[in-house]
Amino acid sequence: MNAKERVLAILNHQKPDRMPCFGANSTVTYDQMENVQAFWPQAHENGEAMAKQALAAHQLLGFDAVRVPFCQTFEAEALGCILKPGGSDGIPGIDPPPPYEIGDTPVLPDDFLSRGRIPELLKAVGILKKEVGDTVPIVGGIIGPFTIAGALLETVPLLKASFKTPEKMRPFLEVAESAGTALAQALIDAGVDIIACEDMTASPALIAPPTYRDFELEYQKRQFGAISVPRILHICGNVDLIVEWMGQTGADILSIEPKTNGKLAREKCGSDIILMGGVDTVTTLYLKDTVTVRDECEKSIADGIQILAPGCTVAPGTPTENLVAMVEVAKAH
Amino acid sequence: MRGEIMEKTEWLKKAAQSILDADEELAKDIAQKSLEAGMDPLEMINHGFSEGIRKMGDLFDRGEVFLPGLVVASEAMVAAIKILERALPKEEQDRKLGVIVIGTIEGDIHDIGKGIIVTMLSVHGYEVHDLGRDVPIENFVTKAKEVNADVVGASAMMTTTQIGQKKLEEALKAAGLRDKVKTMVGGAVATDHWAKRIGADFYGESPQDTIEKLKEILK
Repeated sequence: MNAKERVLAILNHQKPDRMPCFGANSTVTYDQMENVQAFWPQAHENGEAMAKQALAAHQLLGFDAVRVPFCQTFEAEALGCILKPGGSDGIPGIDPPPPYEIGDTPVLPDDFLSRGRIPELLKAVGILKKEVGDTVPIVGGIIGPFTIAGALLETVPLLKASFKTPEKMRPFLEVAESAGTALAQALIDAGVDIIACEDMTASPALIAPPTYRDFELEYQKRQFGAISVPRILHICGNVDLIVEWMGQTGADILSIEPKTNGKLAREKCGSDIILMGGVDTVTTLYLKDTVTVRDECEKSIADGIQILAPGCTVAPGTPTENLVAMVEVAKAH
Repeated sequence: MRGEIMEKTEWLKKAAQSILDADEELAKDIAQKSLEAGMDPLEMINHGFSEGIRKMGDLFDRGEVFLPGLVVASEAMVAAIKILERALPKEEQDRKLGVIVIGTIEGDIHDIGKGIIVTMLSVHGYEVHDLGRDVPIENFVTKAKEVNADVVGASAMMTTTQIGQKKLEEALKAAGLRDKVKTMVGGAVATDHWAKRIGADFYGESPQDTIEKLKEILK
């Protein structure tokens, strides 16, 4: 089986020749940049450099998918947030002040998809489609409603609103959901096979679980209902307290960190949900050796993981051998 | 006399409860009215409002309260204490347990946890110099020298900025400050193991944990 057949098999609940291994989040490292001679910040801004860097995941690491983009700022920038460049070492972020305050009515611009770096992102997908589209699945990343709302308001005011005046979050969640869904549709039109939605701010590490259940769940359902290709939902940290509702969003795959109890996720979400994850990106992938990486992968597989993946965004200083060790474990399953 | 004690306990209880309810307006109102009733402002801070935020911290550690509740409660706390502090004698206003320089490492724009720590340290009587977020390493060093800091704290929330905590240790050494200050690290990606590995004095896991370890280390 090639990578695409392998991943499709899992999605169709058939048995692949072996377990797939790829990232729901960015897996770019400095080593890979050197290897393919595509660097930051260009790969955050330019379609060709972005595609080149994405290919490293398959060509150098042997991962079963390629993924763009590598930061979480495309929608926010196009919605009017100030982009903070990440330079050659880091990923772009958002600078204060935010474009809105709670109580404002945010808008989705008509030309949203031609704003900021979105055209370059779509160009990168086109290049990837041509280069490896027949054999390797392309994952397109979007950002979840709560996280985009956090960029539009800054995280602290959003958290305070979630506690004091939660109904006032709705206009922001509406616009954020529409923006993410519009980007997802454009990515699909450009050729992606899978949409991965990262929703960092929806983690119980930041918001109270009832806020997820009573607000975010509705917008995620709506978003995933409008996306015609397989959907990955990634929320960082330990999501034990919300995993049941994550399973109700319509996501095909849940990407979880090892902090989350895989057995509990299976119990709460049933047998149809595909679980993806395996290794902690900081304490293991970045800081430890291949032996520890292998052990942690085996443990996650025993807990029900079906697609081996870094638990979250890979730290760019992560050694290549640790990422390759994950693929080797996948090959043995 | 008995009535007076009852009344005092009642004020302290009400103050703590307003923080547990994360009700800023109520907390301010209680602070103001307790002064009018002749309550000692220091006692209201230390045994009333502080007790509330301590309990809130415990509930947070136990997973019964989440970050938004803690953020709103700590803001209510600050608002109430501002009112009470104005009523303190000058020497009490100046009394400080130690001088702390704190910030979030350059590249990191997340500083919610650090904001709460800053509030907690201030209400516990430390002089806190908050450098904000996305702070270059050299700014920690310059500020520590300028204010003659006892403690330098750095928070990192991302795998990409965590390495800055190690660079800060090295920069403090290079500036000849490392044996004069204690260092603490915090943030989503820090651990006890990481603190030991880079030579930091301690890792503050939660606001409560940080306050306790600080007390110990500055003895």
